[in-house]
Amino acid sequence: MNELINHTEGINRLLARYGVKFGIYKNGEFHEQLFPFDPIPRVIPKDEGEFLEKGLIQRVDALNRFLADIYGEKKIVADGVIPEDFIFSSKGYLPQCEGIVPPGGIYSHISGIDLVQAKDRTWYILEDNLRIPSGASYPMIARELTRQASPETFKQNKVVDNRNYADLLRETMEYVNTGGINVILTPGRYNAAFFEHSYLAERSGAILAMPQDLFVEDNHVYYSEYQGKKLQVGTIYRRISDEYLDPMCFEADSLIGVPGIMDVYRSGNVALVNAPGNGVADDKGIYYFVPHMIKYYLKEEPILKNAPTYLAFYEEDRKFILENIDHLVVKDVSEAGGYGVIFGSDLSPEKLEELKQTVIREPRRFIAQEVIDFIDLDIMEGDVPVPRKADLRAFVLSGKDTRVWASGLTRFSRNPDSFVVNSSQGGGFKDTWVLSR
Amino acid sequence: MGIISLEKADHLYWLGRYTERVFTTLDTFFKYYDTMIDMDDLAYEKYCACISIPNIYKDKDDFINSYAFSAENPDSIYSNMTRALDNAIVLRDELGSATLSYLQMALERIEKASTSRTILYHMQTVLDMLYAFWGCLDDKVVDEESRNIIKVGKYVERLDLYMRLDYSYKAIEKEYTKLLKRMPRVHRGLNMIQMDRLGEIVSMGDAWTEKRSDALDALGKVF
Repeated sequence: MNELINHTEGINRLLARYGVKFGIYKNGEFHEQLFPFDPIPRVIPKDEGEFLEKGLIQRVDALNRFLADIYGEKKIVADGVIPEDFIFSSKGYLPQCEGIVPPGGIYSHISGIDLVQAKDRTWYILEDNLRIPSGASYPMIARELTRQASPETFKQNKVVDNRNYADLLRETMEYVNTGGINVILTPGRYNAAFFEHSYLAERSGAILAMPQDLFVEDNHVYYSEYQGKKLQVGTIYRRISDEYLDPMCFEADSLIGVPGIMDVYRSGNVALVNAPGNGVADDKGIYYFVPHMIKYYLKEEPILKNAPTYLAFYEEDRKFILENIDHLVVKDVSEAGGYGVIFGSDLSPEKLEELKQTVIREPRRFIAQEVIDFIDLDIMEGDVPVPRKADLRAFVLSGKDTRVWASGLTRFSRNPDSFVVNSSQGGGFKDTWVLSR
Repeated sequence: MGIISLEKADHLYWLGRYTERVFTTLDTFFKYYDTMIDMDDLAYEKYCACISIPNIYKDKDDFINSYAFSAENPDSIYSNMTRALDNAIVLRDELGSATLSYLQMALERIEKASTSRTILYHMQTVLDMLYAFWGCLDDKVVDEESRNIIKVGKYVERLDLYMRLDYSYKAIEKEYTKLLKRMPRVHRGLNMIQMDRLGEIVSMGDAWTEKRSDALDALGKVF
């Protein structure tokens, strides 16, 4: 490991060379910056990796069943397992997707599941990301470069190779392909995750398409080739949010969508990866119900635990939240990217009172969770290792089978007092090793 | 990939143009820099006139710093390198990360040179990176159509600059011939009428300079 640490500067230089960056908007201006990489990996022992794999497959299978149910028969609501308030008032629920059965019956093809490990080594799910979870490209390229920098490290440690992510992605796209080419649809160069879009296209062999490259004709989607030919598109791994995907169906003023694409999708003539409307299943409010979904659809006990969560929507939970708000973390269900996360312990009495009143006024909008004292991982600060909070985004791909990528994005906070690990808020990343023995 | 949209074709062409613009202007910058060391402090004025950029420079030091390194100066080598990289970044799936990395490194070398006292020494590595980029392009980029569009852009830009910078007739004829040979390999977007017009002017031999502005006009309309 020391050898890897000794090469930190060289590895970061290589990451810069390959343009491993993410974009952020500050004061309306786009800035691109390097995603700081820390060489000390998160190491997941073989047995823990197998445990996580089982739990993640179970969870994602249940979530896919839930999505099929919600946009179909809605049995889980009829059976009283989830109150309808949490479905139809969710910003992620799209009535336009009612009755659509996507190719292969899969809704969440690429699921990014965020976990943390408590100090007693129990893993907790923090949130599910079923819309367009990003981040797989970073550990993918980091592994390539760390193997170059320190072959000895990988000779000594039996680490499962994670460089197959692009193959898994290609197989997933192929499985649902309705006939035609695979494309990765990016909103463009100035998207925060553009590096990832272009890198995954390069590695998976899919065509990187801009919105203006695609058009709809005769109820099919085509890619417009510069010599005047049109090529039918079978799968679109779209990295554009639902609301901007089709101006004829969602936001009418979207300039980054493909007009008419939803009609084609509805007819089963193109696969959209991930399916529009998935937001209903990764809502922070719905998160509370995922263990219930597992029991309901799979008749199994959940393998992985949720963080202890309280729903302000339920009177009893709301009472608990109001009484204990100073040591809970309160989350606004409509926010993402580390925003809308409030630690009660950070607030002044006045602000706490203000938050309480907001929770009382808009109970559906908030959940509260116990603060998990999760494991610190060492990161290098100069030449010195220092402990920092870190989470893990695991990637689960659903095609013919549901498969867990034997790696993941470990994000860490560079601020010693912060639990927020998002890159948009200054965090860095590590490789995630799953050991093969 | 072999599947190119209109927008990608445009990026490929301009990638060729901007990388060549950096290469040839930097090469020329070396010569003018040398002249300005101890022979002619105002040599940059002629350079600006030749390549039709506004002379916004107070003196030779201002020219050296601003023309080579300024992000605010749209004519600078730095700005042109940024544009080359901007065109390349959206082509990662066509070019591959390895090819793209040489442009990223070229830009970094310019940034490094800007803080150095040995500008030419560091700028030489920018030329090295561009050579590596062209080599990697030939070696790694599988799709011939993509390579050909980039090369048409490269030869158009080179010919344009050679004509402006008073390169010898022999050099111009050579670059014109390279462009002419490359053009049939690109399947769309080329204006052969303009190419013929350019060919007539080049066939005038040394007298071509009498029709320099016509030649530049025709060249600008080729793609």
